[in-house]
Amino acid sequence: MTENTSETRAESDGGTTADPTNDEMVIETDVAGATDDRDSTATPDPIIRSRDLDVFYGEERALDSIDIDIPENRVTAIIGPSGCGKSTFLRCVNRMNDRIDSCRVTGELSLRGKNVYDDDVDPVALRRRVGMVFQEPNPFPKSIYDNVAYGLDIQDVEGDHDEIVEESLKRAALWDEVNHQLDSSGLELSGGQQQRLCIARAIAPDPEVLLMDEPASALDPVATSQVEDLIEELAEDYTVIIVTHNMQQAARISDKTAVFLTGGELVEFGDTEQIFENPEHQRVEDYITGKFG
Amino acid sequence: MATDTTTEVAGGFGQVSRTVGQLFRYLLLAATLFGLVFVTILLVYVANDAIQPLTADPGWHLTFFLALVVPTLAAGAYVYRRDGEAFQTGALAIGLAVVSLMFSGGAAMIFADIVEPLTFLAFLVAVAVPGVVTLAVVAYDDRIPFLGQFAVTVAAFYLSLFGVPGPLGAAAGISSVVPGVFGLLAGVPLAPAPWLLAVLSVGLPLAAVGGSLVARDRGRRARLFAGAGILAVPLAGGIVGPFVGVDPLPATVVASVGFVPPIVYAANVAINVPRERVALLIPVTIIVGALVGAFAVDLAGFAGPQSWVDWAFLTASHSNTAEDAGFYPAIGGSILLMVTVAVFAFPVGVGAAVYLEEYAPDNRFTRVVDVNISNLAGVPSVVYGLLGFGLFVTYLGQPDGTVLLGGLTLGLLILPIVIISAREAIRSVPEEQRAASYGMGATKWQTVKNVVLPRSFSGILTGTILALGRAIGETAPLIMIGAPNVTYSLPTSFSEAASAMPLQVYAWSSLYAGPNFYNKVVPAGVVVLVAVLLAMNSIAIVLRNKYQVGD
Ligand SMILES: Nc1ncnc2c1ncn2[C@@H]1O[C@H](COP(=O)(O)OP(=O)(O)OP(=O)(O)O)[C@@H](O)[C@H]1O
Ligand SMILES: [Mg+2]
Repeated sequence: MTENTSETRAESDGGTTADPTNDEMVIETDVAGATDDRDSTATPDPIIRSRDLDVFYGEERALDSIDIDIPENRVTAIIGPSGCGKSTFLRCVNRMNDRIDSCRVTGELSLRGKNVYDDDVDPVALRRRVGMVFQEPNPFPKSIYDNVAYGLDIQDVEGDHDEIVEESLKRAALWDEVNHQLDSSGLELSGGQQQRLCIARAIAPDPEVLLMDEPASALDPVATSQVEDLIEELAEDYTVIIVTHNMQQAARISDKTAVFLTGGELVEFGDTEQIFENPEHQRVEDYITGKFG
Repeated sequence: MATDTTTEVAGGFGQVSRTVGQLFRYLLLAATLFGLVFVTILLVYVANDAIQPLTADPGWHLTFFLALVVPTLAAGAYVYRRDGEAFQTGALAIGLAVVSLMFSGGAAMIFADIVEPLTFLAFLVAVAVPGVVTLAVVAYDDRIPFLGQFAVTVAAFYLSLFGVPGPLGAAAGISSVVPGVFGLLAGVPLAPAPWLLAVLSVGLPLAAVGGSLVARDRGRRARLFAGAGILAVPLAGGIVGPFVGVDPLPATVVASVGFVPPIVYAANVAINVPRERVALLIPVTIIVGALVGAFAVDLAGFAGPQSWVDWAFLTASHSNTAEDAGFYPAIGGSILLMVTVAVFAFPVGVGAAVYLEEYAPDNRFTRVVDVNISNLAGVPSVVYGLLGFGLFVTYLGQPDGTVLLGGLTLGLLILPIVIISAREAIRSVPEEQRAASYGMGATKWQTVKNVVLPRSFSGILTGTILALGRAIGETAPLIMIGAPNVTYSLPTSFSEAASAMPLQVYAWSSLYAGPNFYNKVVPAGVVVLVAVLLAMNSIAIVLRNKYQVGD
């Protein structure tokens, strides 16, 4: 059965990859193995599930048949070398890819059992359930208060906005630093504070899933550890999917880890401990230990 | 050999020849300055003819040099050495005073000759009432569906402006039953004096804005106090005006539009920015110096320059003798034209820019539109005149040369420029900001409204003002649509024919009534036109700088 899979894959890929065919076959076989494995340790309740998810930018393939089950209320880390499609995958979840003209998505990605690429799914409504924090802090040139209240305003969230803003800033560990200057511009904060402001903004309307694309890459070590603590705390109520280039970070804060490798393949997905201590694939081990990537 | 870039061994490293590079650099500098220098020389000549500074007594020059120029330079140097930012603030205060005074002249003209203060006040109230209704409806937007809100808003504006049944009823032959707020107020038989109405309609809003700016951190009572203090300025203008020979109505308007903004600016600096208080030394020195100089000159009996740009020139209409010829109707015509152009070109141009940047799909149609808007920007203005004439006069049967016609034609002329500059401003909003908004689940409309437009607004405004500057100097399209070269009174409505500043200058230059028209009156007109243009451009530049700092 494994033989079969590898053959069909090799065929369907045609000659698009320059890798030695041998190598590729081995890896493809392993992917099939990983899928089996995952099934046996399956988490009862995947909130996000993808099957055969392919993404193309024009003719170029960015994601190759991704199958993944992301559990609810856990931190899932996505790691992998630059250009392997981590951000692309993240943007699939809230359909931010729709904004890129050349981008085409096929296959299935479902949120609580509903394929988000069905025709009757409104991407705007989807994004209200799936919050996103970007790699670079991008607060609006508005006051700190208005930044956090942005989602509340546009989504017409019920309730006392002052209270929600305070609560969100507290959860983002920013309240103590900014509570006396809620009216000053969000751009006057330091980079780390801005990123925490963006996190507060993302969690204020209470989304179900939080996507974070290298949220700490622009931060210094102190701010990074603050953001990391915050993510661990958020996982009590939210499903967090975080892209990171920092292995220690992934190991520290995530429950599950997905390793993407060049070519847009999901090579290994499983419990973080297992991936970091005893990965099944040589390539994953090489990547994690820094031998390539 | 001089151009050789080889090195010779000297001191270990040698030298690399840069002769060609230097030559190139200075050629580029010459190219940069070429146009600027020639236009400046021309303007100096023109200004010399118009203002004739050399006809003044040497004593006059000396007095002002000692009373005004020397102290100003000293104060400027002092402030600059203490704090460069404060120097900028001081310079801005003076600039604001000059520009405000110029605009107040225009506003006074409008109130004195074109719009009755009562009509204006009635209009303000008639817009404010449904405005409040709209805000109230929007505040309850979770309970009222959008169509309901829309209907209430439209109905409120319609009823307030036109009453029942209004123009819709008139079209059906029903006469007015209940007048709207506008009709009610504009028809009040016993209204207070026009200048008091001007205090209400112009001074009050300015005082409200200024008061909350000056005393923004000091609570309600302080704001009320500051507002009342500011309101005293137009009141004082109306009361003092008659004693210095100005009618109370224009005096009120000049005090409101000309004096209030610089006073508010200075008060704001003095109260809220203690670090830059020293900046106020500059405007104070200039004002005191000018007053002292004027007083001293008067005492000593030194004669000033025999300027052709004087009060009479600004307030008289055309005459067949150069000495009596004035610019007043042309200035008023230009103001009305610019109002029409702005009202037309701004919303249409910004709308088109937002559509093209944010909504238009990337297809062949969009690309064709795109290229052709750039082409339109290069079409000669005469052609636009022809278009305006053909479209509005021949086809729609409008009378020629009216303010409305001229405004629409000039509006068409600058529309591509407004669109292009607005698109530039919208494009400069970083993509990350849009991504952040969409990522929060904002719709396109919400993103445009909350993120794109606020961020690009000052850029859009800058581009529009610069485009208006182009329109104010245009002559050919106005000739094509049959605008009169010379009018003797201000147009009192948009459907009346009006001249414009460049047209009047053109008329004088082609009138062989005497060398003085040629040599003196034309330069005087040019000086006024260029001064208005520079005032507009300086606003645009200040806005743009502020906007760049904001980035
Ligand atoms: N907007 C786009 N248009 C065209 N190609 C794109 C676009 N965005 C990404 N790609 C391509 O898709 C592939 C995956 O990109 P992606 O940004 O998902 O990688 P990544 O894993 O997030 O990399 P990094 O770690 O550097 O952020 C790359 O080959 C990239 O060139
Ligand atoms: Mg990325």
